[in-house]
Amino acid sequence: MLWWDGIVATFIKCFLKDDRYLLLLDGIGVTIKISLLAVLIGIAIGLVIAFCALSKKKVLNLIGKVYTDVIRGTPSVTQLMIIYFVVFATVDLEKWVIAAIAFGINSGAYVSEIIRAGILSIDKGQTEAGRSLGLNAMQTMVSIIIPQAVKNIFPALCNEFIVLVKETAIVGYIGLVDIQKAGDLIKSATFEAFMPLIATAIIYFVLIKTLTLALARVEKALRKSDNR
Amino acid sequence: MITVKNLHKSFGDVHVLTGIDEHISPGEVVVIIGPSGSGKSTFLRCLNLLEQPTDGEIYVDNELITSPKVDVNKVRQKMGMVFQQFNLFPHLTIMENITLAPVKLKKMTKEEAIKKGEELLERVGLAEKANAYPAQLSGGQKQRVAIARALAMQPEIMLFDEPTSALDPEMVGEVLDVMKELAKSGMTMVVVTHEMGFAREVGTRLLFMDQGIIMEQGKPEDVFSNPQNERTQAFLSKVL
Repeated sequence: MLWWDGIVATFIKCFLKDDRYLLLLDGIGVTIKISLLAVLIGIAIGLVIAFCALSKKKVLNLIGKVYTDVIRGTPSVTQLMIIYFVVFATVDLEKWVIAAIAFGINSGAYVSEIIRAGILSIDKGQTEAGRSLGLNAMQTMVSIIIPQAVKNIFPALCNEFIVLVKETAIVGYIGLVDIQKAGDLIKSATFEAFMPLIATAIIYFVLIKTLTLALARVEKALRKSDNR
Repeated sequence: MITVKNLHKSFGDVHVLTGIDEHISPGEVVVIIGPSGSGKSTFLRCLNLLEQPTDGEIYVDNELITSPKVDVNKVRQKMGMVFQQFNLFPHLTIMENITLAPVKLKKMTKEEAIKKGEELLERVGLAEKANAYPAQLSGGQKQRVAIARALAMQPEIMLFDEPTSALDPEMVGEVLDVMKELAKSGMTMVVVTHEMGFAREVGTRLLFMDQGIIMEQGKPEDVFSNPQNERTQAFLSKVL
């Protein structure tokens, strides 16, 4: 069983020797930290930009449009590097937080478009019904429009979150060791490409599959009112 | 209760309302009929400012509601509205649909609102549907809930915008019955409708609208049996 021994030896070299698996474990932590914070920032920015884009005020409208345009028109690696090496060059913040801000800013542009579409998808009669009862515009938005919009846009938002998690694989560019970078470091140290890279892929897949399953449960709960 | 003076409304170049003067007194059931495009719905929607009038004045309880200083939301709390397309909130249960506005607007506590909701659902014959969602209801049931929802705010006036036009024929009766009962209870109502039977039976006054003005008005039986205006005659000959 020579080939089997070979595989075991490579596995030990890649993951157990010098506790290399710890690199990957820490990498998972970094990826998750960045993703979670970035999602929150992305939703916050997305909401603000969506309302700008939907606003009747010309200035706000323009801000919304320009933001989305600029972010969509440049690669996220470039944005990440500009934010880390230029914008936050002299600011004393933890690297992962800066990375999360960068990804949040990026995600915000996409989230805003999703939210905007979601709000526009709700029938005008819903707003009229709310207003006719005496609710003001804000109350109508919060109690009537947004809950319905969230349900409609949830699948698209999930998609955006999944993309975001995978996008974080570029944080190696600013010297963070996430899952991708950990796999890469192991590759360089061991001169083995197959196992570290496949392990990287498997870890991402499991992470995202777990996320997908969790989000599917949330969606099912959201759809409760559709049952006939 | 409602006084309208020289009301105009345009959408771009289209002049939908071209000068309406009207007074509605407490307890009246005013039924508005007329061909499509005559401005009936626009008129009704101007009354609670869902449409902003282009020109003219509307007074509700002697308050000039077309003034920019007026609190539109407060005015609307006095006027319930029922829509052709029901516009129930699909993400909320029937009871939540009814209690949302009174609780949010601090008119009632949650407990009071639920008690009121149960009372109203009883009144429209849907007590057992409190925890259902709108998608589980038939059109007629939805519209009866919509009426209950509007009544939960304890309005002084109820506006109905073609409340039975989106219903299957066999469901029209149940909604009209609720409206008849409401009229009998003394509610002031303004109803845009194509239900001539309802207009004749329940209406205390009939308005015939065409080309953005009120062409003719009077007691329903008089207008139906002896229309004065040529256009009223033409319209009635088609629908009766």
